[in-house]
Amino acid sequence: MLKSLNLQDMRQKAYQALDQRARAITAGLGLNELRALMRGEPPTEKPNPRYKVHTTSFLFHIRPRYYEAGSTILTHTFRLGFFTSFFFFVELFTGLILMIYYTPSPEKAYESILNLLNNVPFGQMLRDIHRLGAEAMVIFTTLHMLRTFLTGSYKKERSFTWLTGVVLLGITMFLSFSGYLLPWDQLAYWAVTVGTSMAEAAPLFGNEINLLLRGAPDIAANGLLRFYLLHVVLLPLAAILVISIHYYKVSREHGISLPAYMEEGNVPPEVKKAARQRIDFIPDLLTTEVFLVSLGILLLVLGVTVFNYHAPLESVANPQVTPLDTKAPWYFWWLQGMLKLGDKILMGVILPTIVVLVLVGLPYIDRNPHRSLYKRPIAVALGVLSVLILVMLSYMGLPQYGIEMEPAQRIIQDMSPQEGAGPLQRLPFEELQLGSYQVNVNEPINMCPNLDFGCPAFEAFFRLYSDRVNQAIRKGDLPAETQAVVVIEDWQKDLRKITLRIVWPGEDGKSKSYERIVYLHANRGME
Amino acid sequence: MNRINLQILLGTIMVLATSVVVLFYGLNEEKRMAEAEEAQRGRAIEQGAALFEAQCSRCHGTQGTGIPGLCPPLNDRYFFDQRMKDVGWSGTLEDYIVATVSSGRLASTRPQLYPGQGTPAMPAFSDHFGGPLREDQIRTIAAFITNWSETAIAIEVPPTPSGPVVGTDITKELPEGDPAAGEALATTLGCVACHIAAPTGPVWLAKDGEPGVGSHAATRITQPDYTGKATTPEQYLFESIVNPNIFVVSGFASGVMPQSYANSLTDQDMANLIAYLLTLK
Ligand code: HEC
Ligand code: HEC
Ligand code: HEM
Repeated sequence: MLKSLNLQDMRQKAYQALDQRARAITAGLGLNELRALMRGEPPTEKPNPRYKVHTTSFLFHIRPRYYEAGSTILTHTFRLGFFTSFFFFVELFTGLILMIYYTPSPEKAYESILNLLNNVPFGQMLRDIHRLGAEAMVIFTTLHMLRTFLTGSYKKERSFTWLTGVVLLGITMFLSFSGYLLPWDQLAYWAVTVGTSMAEAAPLFGNEINLLLRGAPDIAANGLLRFYLLHVVLLPLAAILVISIHYYKVSREHGISLPAYMEEGNVPPEVKKAARQRIDFIPDLLTTEVFLVSLGILLLVLGVTVFNYHAPLESVANPQVTPLDTKAPWYFWWLQGMLKLGDKILMGVILPTIVVLVLVGLPYIDRNPHRSLYKRPIAVALGVLSVLILVMLSYMGLPQYGIEMEPAQRIIQDMSPQEGAGPLQRLPFEELQLGSYQVNVNEPINMCPNLDFGCPAFEAFFRLYSDRVNQAIRKGDLPAETQAVVVIEDWQKDLRKITLRIVWPGEDGKSKSYERIVYLHANRGME
Repeated sequence: MNRINLQILLGTIMVLATSVVVLFYGLNEEKRMAEAEEAQRGRAIEQGAALFEAQCSRCHGTQGTGIPGLCPPLNDRYFFDQRMKDVGWSGTLEDYIVATVSSGRLASTRPQLYPGQGTPAMPAFSDHFGGPLREDQIRTIAAFITNWSETAIAIEVPPTPSGPVVGTDITKELPEGDPAAGEALATTLGCVACHIAAPTGPVWLAKDGEPGVGSHAATRITQPDYTGKATTPEQYLFESIVNPNIFVVSGFASGVMPQSYANSLTDQDMANLIAYLLTLK
């Protein structure tokens, strides 16, 4: 009995027990193997247990066993598809937590965001990351599409991958768009009103689509609930499904394409061989992915802390007041720009439909068999042109472009926008010296002799304001007698009332004026 | 060092860096949340100020000073220190304001002092009861009003006039008036809210070729549609103040100007007011 209790034997047994657990958990990798993995050494057993995982584990079965060395070159994919998926998972994770605090009703939605910001530890960070991730996902999806276009990866057998990609682009935009409404502030409400009203342009069923989305002629409780359910149930489910199909095609069927110069034309055999060399998923690709994920998380966290990205929140939605300069979310500006160019039906429905059809049919329209950039000059030129047009249209979609506003109104709106913060809102409260000032008459120098450090920001504001007015006078938009006035009154404890007024003689001799009254509280904080 | 090792090393460093950033962010969370709450309150007060100006100032005065004979002040010591006890309200002042503003007041609780518009003395403002404001907007107004709490201690509004009141007999012999005292009175009584600051009533100051109230006093009584009994400018002003509905200036509604001045002003007050108004040619 005692004899059998020797130490070596016990160690062996313990090792075996642990090894077995490890194999059960990792779907086939023993302790020895794990050790080798961490050190980047070759497999310890035969057949290669690292491949076995791909058949026995559910999570790994969708991942490829290996990629070809050529397709993992950084400048070929820029890991754009990977990062798009990364952002999607970030959105899922942060979104699930945000759901705990959010109530989808017009009475409560805005309040629940305020509560998230002032009552939930890390609430603001969570919201900022969710917003940043959403914007990044739209950007990365678009760039990823552009890269697959430029590397010609949509051709032949990969045309179905491309098609599912186009569907994903749509899902991504609508995910982002439907989330836009949820905070129920003025920005959200009017951006979505503008956005859905574009659907109205569609002939025959435009009104019906609009009604279906909004749940009523105007967005209200029904519309909010619909957007919420789209955002948290339908679209994420659709995204998961289509991403799975999209990725399955890549990982299990075609692999990622090789760069064209390794595949097409006279490629030296040794290059070809090197390109086709297998890079195993476990451990090489997996390590890289974990590495990239930690990079992505670090960048997101830095973005919302050090780089100060914050999800905007304006005042609560008010269907009765359309703020000046309302605009759709930036990824729809191109559509707004197009709508300014011409007929609502042509620009808002027919052309966008054609764009989508071209995207869907691209693999069939472009019959050129080559993938190399140099062998498809027309396709590349058209692609670059489309990007330029997209940027131009987006610029034209800005509310400042092509929509005439009275010059006085434009100036005051730029100094102190109805929503969000302008130069006026950014002034430190202490510098708002009481008084009534004629802005474009006196040079703003030494305006606050009573303040220890003067009021540089206040003076800069005056300079900016008077420059704008004088510019308008020089351009002839306003008559030379125009007076710009700022009145600052003490209104309540820590509250000042500021009146911006521009007065000018009209053509009929009567004096005309435009004014805006703003109340500023000392604690309002700055965005 | 091979690539895997390098990636593991860098990955670990980045995870640590992320943790450090998140940790430091977390240490600041209490402060950040407190500041966010302050900022939200600040913004609520800003919005409340604008809404108060638009909806309430015509009765309660631009600065909440109230209008004697019409509406109570909301910025004085009585309102903040005593009113809750007097009406037996057990909730907070903020709730009292929200409740009052939401449903309005059918009848004034102090009809002699603050009759308001009559019935209702104050209209309901909540959109649930047909008013123009949403619940959250009413809350911002309440935030604005309660922000007077610190300055309210210093503000004491005498509710009742001192001395015998002037009455409605416009032929009464009045003492010598002092225009400066009249001007001060017009401000404390809240006349300026309707007559100077906002054109709820006829504008007193001469503007754009239109003469001031001092000249109108002489011309109104000669108009063919004049329905009052005054024969001199002084009497016209006297009559307009104590019995505003006997003749309503065209373009204005009858019943807007408070009708209680006959019972709240003294002879001297009336003389001072008239003297002041006559200077506004
Ligand atoms: C038509 C004139 C009128 C308007 C407009 C008006 N009020 Fe009043 N309000 C009154 C009168 C009259 C009373 C006094 C009733 C009483 O004493 O019972 C009153 C009472 C109040 C009270 C309760 C005061 C107390 O001591 O009990 C509050 C609070 C109040 N008003 C707030 C507001 C706010 C906020 C607004 C704007 C949204 C507003 N009021 C608009 C006439 C008005
Ligand atoms: C709630 C608003 C309001 C307040 C407060 C008010 N008035 Fe008036 N007042 C009016 C309106 C409306 C008219 C015009 C209708 C009418 O003649 O009755 C008017 C008319 C007048 C007139 C006649 C003006 C003319 O051009 O013929 C005089 C004088 C006058 N008010 C004096 C006063 C004085 C003095 C006070 C303060 C003690 C005062 N008012 C407070 C609303 C107000
Ligand atoms: C939610 C959005 C999307 C996700 C998560 C996603 C994910 C991926 C991933 C992970 C890959 C592997 C290769 C790589 O990392 O680049 C890939 C490849 C590919 N994607 Fe996407 N994608 C999305 C949208 C799109 C869109 C909008 C298109 C084009 C319309 C597209 C077309 C393709 C094509 C053609 C490939 C194959 C590339 C090759 O073999 O070189 N994808 N996608």
